[in-house]
Amino acid sequence: MASFPPRVNEKEIVRARTIGELLAPAAPFDKKCGGETWTVAFAPDGSYFAWSQGYRIVKLVPWSQCLKNFLLHGSKNVTNSSSLKLTRQDSNGGQKNKPREHIIDCGDIVWSLAFGSSVPEKQSRCVNIEWHRFRFGQDQLLLATGLNNGRIKIWDVYTGKLLLNLVDHVEVVRDLTFAPDGSLILVSASRDKTLRVWDLKDDGNMMKVLRGHQNWVYSCAFSPDSSMLCSVGASKAVFLWNMDKYTMIRKLEGHHHDVVACDFSPDGALLATASYDTRVYIWDPHNGDILMEFGHLFPPPTPIFAGGANDRWVRGVSFSHDGLHVASLADDKMVRFWRIGEDCPVQVAPLSNGLCCAFSTDGSVLAAGTQDGSVYFWATPREVPSLQHLCRMSIRRVMPTQEVQKLPVPSKVLEFLSYVFRRKTPFPGRA
Amino acid sequence: MHVKVISSDGHELILEREHMQIIRNNKAMLSGPGQFAENEIKESNFRELLPHMLRKVCMYFTYKVHYTSDSTDITKFLIAPETALELLMAANFQDCLKEIIASC
Repeated sequence: MASFPPRVNEKEIVRARTIGELLAPAAPFDKKCGGETWTVAFAPDGSYFAWSQGYRIVKLVPWSQCLKNFLLHGSKNVTNSSSLKLTRQDSNGGQKNKPREHIIDCGDIVWSLAFGSSVPEKQSRCVNIEWHRFRFGQDQLLLATGLNNGRIKIWDVYTGKLLLNLVDHVEVVRDLTFAPDGSLILVSASRDKTLRVWDLKDDGNMMKVLRGHQNWVYSCAFSPDSSMLCSVGASKAVFLWNMDKYTMIRKLEGHHHDVVACDFSPDGALLATASYDTRVYIWDPHNGDILMEFGHLFPPPTPIFAGGANDRWVRGVSFSHDGLHVASLADDKMVRFWRIGEDCPVQVAPLSNGLCCAFSTDGSVLAAGTQDGSVYFWATPREVPSLQHLCRMSIRRVMPTQEVQKLPVPSKVLEFLSYVFRRKTPFPGRA
Repeated sequence: MHVKVISSDGHELILEREHMQIIRNNKAMLSGPGQFAENEIKESNFRELLPHMLRKVCMYFTYKVHYTSDSTDITKFLIAPETALELLMAANFQDCLKEIIASC
């Protein structure tokens, strides 16, 4: 079974440039499972990189130091403290302010990670704020970790200390995400078929339970304006929630198997979802239309084959910050970089047993975690965006598709603004 | 070598010639016959563009020239939503003119 469309010569696709690797130390001899990197994350200000290294450990490394190490030591870098200390300057004055590496033992297998930072203007939604134990200051950077037993632990990134322990889920907390508006609202997605909304400025009070999934919830993502949340899960589920009223807006139908990852574009106009049915779909979240399909198996599988074990599950998807590129990880041992508008990847790189991916805060690097606890990094394909695309992103950040359709502009411009790409043949498997 | 661009109400901006070479629909004007003396300014009319739009278009061309040659750390180019729609139409207009001239 081919990984690319028949018209494409696989050898002509450009290989993405490797930046570096963080290899896990050898597994403890008595542990056969539990060593996976289920999640990787970058801090919103680009200062830290975190990954769940397996065996209950989360590693936090200062990102700029990590990049410097890759350049100095070549691309391989085994993660132990001594190699990082070699390049750290030993000046007493500057030591306190420099970000430090932390290794956190979370007490249970870590399935999800999310960074959050507060913006002082955002008030807690709770009225009584005098009796709060925690005052989140201007400088606070938090790391939320979702564990195997359903607990969520909140850590302070700069000191490595445990701040809060959120207990409510009864099953694995598979994904965590903070609202991008700095309000420290945290959403957790769990195998107990629910999502929970927590207000960390209110001592971690659980505000709402989102019910609707019939099966495991795999992932969740906020839209950039924090108004919508997408949650995806087993049994083909893709749901969109209104995060002002906590109601379900719509269900997006089209996948044939479990949907395991989702991400919004930076202007909120596009939603990417990855599924075990070998496909990544790019949706318009405002009206539920499928705009693009990124296939990983050719010829595309029929619905029955797509709905089962087809050896080509897509495990992760992530939108880059320029709103033009998408990265996907699939079980055919490849990372693919796609460009919006083209149905064939623009760059690829080999990766075995990839489980999760995330773009760095400045969008220049993609990190991917694997089953043995290691993380690999590649340079993102960069291009200068066209003036039209920059205008489109600026408009779409503030305007949903329904309003765009009412603009007094020619239909070609409307199509462009709505990210509509004309296809000659309909999507396979759809009527 | 500099070029002067003039907008719809007579506002003038002065740019480096290399940056203007991206504006292909005026290529004929810029790469005219003969040699020009150093510092000589040639004029180029963009009478269909308002001054704030022309400023933004020129800023974009400067941004594009800079990062085309050095694409390691491309920074964000911010456009206010109020001007974005007009700018989109202007950018499309430029492209149409470019195609018309190329096909002539």
